Amino acid sequence: MLFPSVQFGIFFPIVLALSWALMSRPALWKPFILVASYVFYAAASPIFCLLLGGVTLWNYGAARLIHRSASEQRRRVLCAVAVTGNLLQLGFFKYYTFFAQSFARVFHDVGLGVPLPLINIALPVGVSFFTFQAISYTVDVKRRLIEPAGLLDTAIYLSFFPHLVSGPIVRAREFLPQLASPRDPRRVAVSAGLTLIGIGLVKKVVIADYLGSKVVDPVFAVPHAYHGPDVLLAAYAYTAQIYCDFSGYTDMAIGLALLLGFVFPQNFNSPYRSTGFQEFWRRWHMTLSRFLRDFLYIPLGGNRGPKWFMYRNLMITMLLGGLWHGAGWTYVIWGGLHGVGVVSNHAMKERFKAPRTPAWLRWFVTFNLVALLFIIFRAPSIGVAWSLFKRLGSWGTPTLLIAPVALAIAVTIIPQLLPPRPFQRLQDWAGRLNPAILAPALAVLILFCAATVPSDGVAPFIYFRF
Amino acid sequence: MPTEPKHPEPKHPDDNLMERFDRAGARKFRARDAIIAAVIVSAILIVCAGPSILKAGHEETSAIGRAAVLAVGKPAGWIANRLPFHSVADTATDWLSPDPNLSGLPGFTDDIATGANADIPLVTPDAFNPSLIGAPAPPKMRLHTLLVTGDSMSEPMDSYIADTLTPDGVRVVQDPHIGTGISSTLIVNWGKLSAYQVQHYHPNAVVVFIGANDSYPMPGPNGRQVNCCGVEWATIYAQRVRQMMNTYRQDGMARVYWLMLPAMRDPARTQNGLVVNAAINVAAEPWLDQIRIINTVPVFTPGDHYRDSMTINGQPTIVRESDGIHLNNAGSQLASKLVLASVDQDFTR
Repeated sequence: MLFPSVQFGIFFPIVLALSWALMSRPALWKPFILVASYVFYAAASPIFCLLLGGVTLWNYGAARLIHRSASEQRRRVLCAVAVTGNLLQLGFFKYYTFFAQSFARVFHDVGLGVPLPLINIALPVGVSFFTFQAISYTVDVKRRLIEPAGLLDTAIYLSFFPHLVSGPIVRAREFLPQLASPRDPRRVAVSAGLTLIGIGLVKKVVIADYLGSKVVDPVFAVPHAYHGPDVLLAAYAYTAQIYCDFSGYTDMAIGLALLLGFVFPQNFNSPYRSTGFQEFWRRWHMTLSRFLRDFLYIPLGGNRGPKWFMYRNLMITMLLGGLWHGAGWTYVIWGGLHGVGVVSNHAMKERFKAPRTPAWLRWFVTFNLVALLFIIFRAPSIGVAWSLFKRLGSWGTPTLLIAPVALAIAVTIIPQLLPPRPFQRLQDWAGRLNPAILAPALAVLILFCAATVPSDGVAPFIYFRF
Repeated sequence: MPTEPKHPEPKHPDDNLMERFDRAGARKFRARDAIIAAVIVSAILIVCAGPSILKAGHEETSAIGRAAVLAVGKPAGWIANRLPFHSVADTATDWLSPDPNLSGLPGFTDDIATGANADIPLVTPDAFNPSLIGAPAPPKMRLHTLLVTGDSMSEPMDSYIADTLTPDGVRVVQDPHIGTGISSTLIVNWGKLSAYQVQHYHPNAVVVFIGANDSYPMPGPNGRQVNCCGVEWATIYAQRVRQMMNTYRQDGMARVYWLMLPAMRDPARTQNGLVVNAAINVAAEPWLDQIRIINTVPVFTPGDHYRDSMTINGQPTIVRESDGIHLNNAGSQLASKLVLASVDQDFTR
């Protein structure tokens, strides 16, 4: 079920009303919200509710066992088994086809036949997100950062529908305390929630889908048909599209959770104002960045030991972070090149304690490199990415640059470059407005956004497939 | 008084700003306000967009989803049609629609001649593909514009075709319409859309790959609904396909390449596909010198037996998507080669 859909428009008001009606009685509210979340998930893929349930049971059981165990050695082994189980599940659904085909080619070439059945396995929506949340829960229990939750709370934490399919990746220690007592019905950020839903809707339906259909999809589908200026425009357009698509989803998720009385962590903070790759990853998909830091980079050794050791850890983290986005070499290369960027930033900081280049130049270089690397991320294959880079060097008349495209890119990028305080103040002001004023405005906004949707419907969110 | 946010930017990812809404003074409303806001939004959408909700219900493919949306959409449509807000909202937002304007174009006629009483249709030379009877082939034409259209089956095959032909100076128009079918006119009426495409793109070659969604009931004689997939349904379907083929062939000025459906993983879908394929073959009969039927079955699913993978260029390769319906990138690339081989029989580029 997509947030911007008629089905969700019917589903959510009913869930909202019932949720608050039952909130004061957790014994009723918890089963209700769990069922609602599973109904939400079943609308996308009913069969994979079993997978979600299985992941819940696995991590619930593991966390309990870990908690009961007094021996540190035993806790470590149990945690390793639990995390391995999660990763095997993720690996099977997300990477089986990729590896089966890769192995088949190698084995076939040396005459050993096909080692694994060549089948295309359906990717359960949101599997990467709920698996990562499950890992964070079990590891945090092992680290004694949280107490293990009851089965119902664990199930709600993993399946809570606003964050279920595309994040943000909410840590158990952020969410479970909110389940410990009923949400206070006298302290709800209603207008902030409505504002975020409106902002997210415009980002996704108006900007992201428009740029996707008018510029990005045509250029990435047929690179030969376009010259350098159009390919460059497509890179910038995709830079704007993916931000609006993903941060738009996050805005809606945070806004919906607020209406239900829950707070999610922030996931984006003007990433395109970054003056380096290190800063970019502190502003882009922040909940993934801290997951990778806490559950991969630091366990690998982090910045302890010699410098090359830290650089190695950074590279491994970024390569696996790239692979997390999808089963394809393009994602691995993209992650690796970002890793090179992050390592370079660290090395420069070590070499020169204070930056020697002006901030605008560092921003210009970072922004353009991020945009160009998105070509590799978006391209369906390395060959297409290479074609696009080659086309960048061919001069020709731009055919796709029209005023609405330029405007859509500008309204995405430029506000991120301006001082954030006025925008934050504006959003805070809207968050304090009377909801009775904001609600009709949101309804009118939905009508206008819906009018821009083609008969094919809203395009799926880009991060759904991750 | 609302408090000034003290830390608008995180200094470190650990600062997840979980308190940001408290700091902004946003958590000052009651749950009741949230519900009232939801009611206001819902009420405005019902009076201004009720028929759209009803339409969305009819377009819904899952039975439960369809029932749920129709349960709201029917009363919403009824209310909206009795109030003026719906037409005001439509007028105010019409200009934003990205869909082509199909009003005024002829749709499907659906009038089926009833065998015994109909005149015996004339056989014309158009019904013979010269290559099949050993006659000399007509001279090849210059390919200037090729339209690739259909439902989601036509993606990403359209991109592979475009990628191959564009460097040769051929204009390739990619116009897929996801989730549509010839048997349903709810999302798009292919009778009208095909006329629109010909008028706007002037293609001299048209590639069509459609039918995976086609199992909707269609209006038959006397207006009664004919369910999929008996002979009567196949007859109406073939009539619609024939109308589209006639539009696309443009009185013999263009060539049409219509792909048949490969078998699907779901046997019920394969059975529907057999009927669709039979209808495509029947529909093309009057113009076999202008319409090429590209049979994908022997290539992808010999004997109508579904398979996920096959050998391409000596390499074992997965050719289907995980849904067991669509062709994946490798499969689409292969399908594009089948199409281009056929196009090259008729055109130079």
